[in-house]
Amino acid sequence: MARNVDRATGAFFLVFGLLLYFVIIPVHVEFIEGGWILPETIPNAVAIVLGICGALLMGKPTIQRVQSSTEFLNACLYFGLLAVGLFLMSHVGFVYAAPLIALVLMLLIGERRPLWIGMGVVVVPAVIWVMVVQVLDRPLP
Amino acid sequence: MVDFATIIAGFGDAFTLWNLAFVVFGVVVGQFVGAVPGIGPVMAMAIAIPFTFGLDPLPAIAFLVGVNKGGLVGGAVPAVLMNTPGTPDAAATAMDGYPLARQGKPLKATKMALFSSVTGDTFSDLVLITVSAPLAILALRMGPVEVFALMIFAFSVLTGLIGKSLIKGVIAAAFGLLCASIGSDPENYTPRLIFGYFELFDGLPLASVAIGMLAISEILRRLSQIRGDMKSAIEVKDTGNPEDRRVTFAEYWACRFTMLRGAVIGTVLGALPGIGSTAAAFMSYATAKSTSKEPETFGKGNLQGIAAAESANSAVVGSNLIPLLTLGIPGSVGAALIISAFMIHGIQPGPLLFQDQGRLIYGLFGAMIMANVLNLWVGQIGLRFWVKVVSAPESIIFSAALLLCIVGVSMATGGLFGVAVMLVFAGIGYLMTSFGYSVVIFIIAFFLGPRFEISLSQSLALMNGDWMRIIDYPIAVALLGLSVVSVIWFLTRNAPDETTAGTVSIED
Repeated sequence: MARNVDRATGAFFLVFGLLLYFVIIPVHVEFIEGGWILPETIPNAVAIVLGICGALLMGKPTIQRVQSSTEFLNACLYFGLLAVGLFLMSHVGFVYAAPLIALVLMLLIGERRPLWIGMGVVVVPAVIWVMVVQVLDRPLP
Repeated sequence: MVDFATIIAGFGDAFTLWNLAFVVFGVVVGQFVGAVPGIGPVMAMAIAIPFTFGLDPLPAIAFLVGVNKGGLVGGAVPAVLMNTPGTPDAAATAMDGYPLARQGKPLKATKMALFSSVTGDTFSDLVLITVSAPLAILALRMGPVEVFALMIFAFSVLTGLIGKSLIKGVIAAAFGLLCASIGSDPENYTPRLIFGYFELFDGLPLASVAIGMLAISEILRRLSQIRGDMKSAIEVKDTGNPEDRRVTFAEYWACRFTMLRGAVIGTVLGALPGIGSTAAAFMSYATAKSTSKEPETFGKGNLQGIAAAESANSAVVGSNLIPLLTLGIPGSVGAALIISAFMIHGIQPGPLLFQDQGRLIYGLFGAMIMANVLNLWVGQIGLRFWVKVVSAPESIIFSAALLLCIVGVSMATGGLFGVAVMLVFAGIGYLMTSFGYSVVIFIIAFFLGPRFEISLSQSLALMNGDWMRIIDYPIAVALLGLSVVSVIWFLTRNAPDETTAGTVSIED
């Protein structure tokens, strides 16, 4: 539990606001003349607000309790699994990738009971396939 | 504004077998997911929205309303049995429900939660049906300048009320507006911040952002907290006395004033943007305890405590739709998801809704009333089953939820690009919640962003670019004045100087 966490996120938003205002918006928003509000009006206003609020947060941080590094690493692990799963899905499709994603996920969580693993790996993807392809007549990814 | 024939036709639509089937399905799904700790009604609604594309608007929205209402009833089951609320607002229910269950009366506790939940919900729905049409007439007199000022007011209230730091609330709202500005700008239709991805020309997909931030990020949080031990089935004690398995009419009637007070608190707080059902439940519980002749019995299994919490948190659901249907401004994430369902089905929420889609709105009201009746019916039959559901392992619940999210977003956005966007926003949502930034404010700002920009543009056009002309719009001036007052009040109030990771819940 520390105020440094808020100081760090405040600094992030201050830098992010400055980057938005001076680098990202000028490059990635087309300049148009005329009109009541320009395409960059709202993004610029938001960048200013983010920068000011980031600076204010650095000056007046709250006491922010964050979760343990183990939890954060676990979340990164599951996030990575999903990213790899999506990559796999884009190549082999849902029908082959979904059971694999479910299997790895259940094993990572700690599930070892064959019945529940069977439910998650076979029954759940099969039910989704029936519901989407057969009932709703939509394609799966 | 809406003639009687339209009202009757709307209610007639709601009571067709087809629509009722979807309400029943929604209530069953809602009670089921509410009973599973970790998957609340908001997450279930976010996942379910893409699956309603093939439906007509009324059954689709009636289904989502059923999920929302059923989820609040289901959320009380794990709160009572395991002291692990399925939804944050059920935490107040656990304070007396869990001790009652430990005394061997789990069914009495869950049934009291069911009856008071339906009572509060019905009260709030009746207020919604009575009040929203006249309010919409008033709202129709508001032009772009007033709408712009109203949105500023909504943002000032939301950023102050949700979360514990006004600065962090403003950052979350600004970040939501920034994400809403991705895509073509509404005045010149030039691409903006799309970074070469032409799939983003129409903006970030609503389904990807909502499901990523609300569902996937929450699942990631839950998964990261699992320590490899599969939760075993709970043991439910039973005294064997039939009287302890039911709520008698005398017991229900003894709680009438508590439930009425809870319903009023929930309805009033629900109509204000940003306060949410958790605050309503705890406020009602505290009021019931302070006015009770036996305050020492609260927290030890008092039925009045359960009635107070459940009537209030359920009453929020109906009145949450008052700002949504009359002004097009969602007051909570649940309402924001319903607004996205409206938009996906080609319906623009706001005061014109009663004029253009009166039959649909009264159909929705009919479906809400039916959802309450069915909540009672399904709850009576299903409570014994939901008691078993709380023991389902998290491994299967979360893996199934993740696959449903992927398929749902893929269907909504027409491919895996939307799923990739969902994953990005899952990461952003996880980080925001971890560092105490409200995803609720972000989502509402994201939903309101395009309308905010359009109303700003129209306001400037009406005032010919001269902001001093705003004095010609007294309602707008009053709303902006109220915004300033509320910001000053939030800045000077004695707020706790602490925000906690993961406490800025998606259901606040």
